[in-house]
Amino acid sequence: MAIIQVTNLKKSFGELAVLKDVSFEINKNDVVAVIGPSGSGKSTMLRSLVYLEQVNGGSIRVTDDFLVQDGVYSPQQQIKRITAKMGMVFQHFNLFPHLTVQENLEIAPKVVKREADSAIRARSAELLEKVGLADKAKVYPAKLSGGQKQRVAIARALMMNPDILLFDEPTSALDPELTGEVLQVIKQLASEHMTMMVVTHEMGFAREVANRIMFMDNGEVVESGTPEELFTNAQYERTRAFLQRALK
Amino acid sequence: MSLEYIVSITKPMLEGAQMTILLFLIAIVLSIPLGFLLTLLAKSNVRPLAWLAHTYIYVMRGTPLLLQLLFICFGLPLLPGIGEYLVMDRFVAACLGFVLNYAAYFAEIFRGGLLSIDRGQYEAAQVLGFSKWQTTVKIILPQMFRVALPAVSNESITLVKDTALLYAVAVPELLHFAQTAVNRDFTIVPFFIAGIIYLLMTLLLTLFFKWLERRFKFE
Repeated sequence: MAIIQVTNLKKSFGELAVLKDVSFEINKNDVVAVIGPSGSGKSTMLRSLVYLEQVNGGSIRVTDDFLVQDGVYSPQQQIKRITAKMGMVFQHFNLFPHLTVQENLEIAPKVVKREADSAIRARSAELLEKVGLADKAKVYPAKLSGGQKQRVAIARALMMNPDILLFDEPTSALDPELTGEVLQVIKQLASEHMTMMVVTHEMGFAREVANRIMFMDNGEVVESGTPEELFTNAQYERTRAFLQRALK
Repeated sequence: MSLEYIVSITKPMLEGAQMTILLFLIAIVLSIPLGFLLTLLAKSNVRPLAWLAHTYIYVMRGTPLLLQLLFICFGLPLLPGIGEYLVMDRFVAACLGFVLNYAAYFAEIFRGGLLSIDRGQYEAAQVLGFSKWQTTVKIILPQMFRVALPAVSNESITLVKDTALLYAVAVPELLHFAQTAVNRDFTIVPFFIAGIIYLLMTLLLTLFFKWLERRFKFE
């Protein structure tokens, strides 16, 4: 079953068309890597899925509900319900600096979902363990490295039990020696069959972890396929040229 | 110069300092929330409200506090028709003036605090399902106050010193008693004592805000 179905998505910033007729599907347990040059519309596409950008046309369906259908958005209440199915991890982490790591994880379930404290506490402990930061629970984000911050951000997104996790260049703001620990966590989630869409410049990671790669250029999905198909047998010159540059 | 003399002039000054402290407390407790309200109004999508708030801030920051105090104490009662209903106790009038004036400054301080908050904070909150209200209360305000703290501290110290303007509207406070003693005894000592009392008050305030800043360091 498709968790996300996107059809003919269009988005412009003024005169500039950032997304031109983008369509794709993401199925349960997919790990989709989105690659492409800067300014190709990858981030805008991802942000549109969680309503951080509003599109000008096309449809986004999440499981059974339309976030936007033929350019017309659903009522606010439904938008909230739909975006709650998705978690998002940002390039710049966007942790809440005035809250400890543990509070960062627990605030949304507490405030938004009004879950019981004991259930929240158990889950935050479990997730911090999972991303290897159990010892940092009481620490403020200012004291963490970039890699640690991003792992906290992933745990925070998982606290809301999303059906799919979206990553917007999760390692682009990190020093090269810190990308590994974040990619390792994403890899682990993949092995647990978490559905994910990852906008990334990490070609090696895309090839190794994704079961599908989507190449975007100039506001369009040029082609998509298995890593093998794309890396060894791309159909389009644009894809081949990009991969050649990226893998250098 | 006997110790006895120093004690005798310090006593009324300390009593005057009570007035100073009372005005300070009233002004700070009322002008901070009012200032914050102004910040929200100035940011409001309702154009006339935002315009009103901006105009208010412009007028209050753009004219001397002394003029505003004189206006409230001595100007308002002269208004034809309604003037007689606007005669207030001097101290109450002064409090009103200070609250209205400082609210404008605090509004600008908080606006600066809001501007410093990264857009990513709003986006993270939105994606996690926070409502606008929850985002404001749980995510934005705590950070805004933290950023604004040094400026609030600075403004509070200015407020302590500005209380001396009460002198101009003839409310007996610290400076009034110092000046009286100087005139009566023809000595500079009361001014020094007044200075020391102001310094003690600002020292306490400085320490308090230092403590607040440490307490909310988030590190």
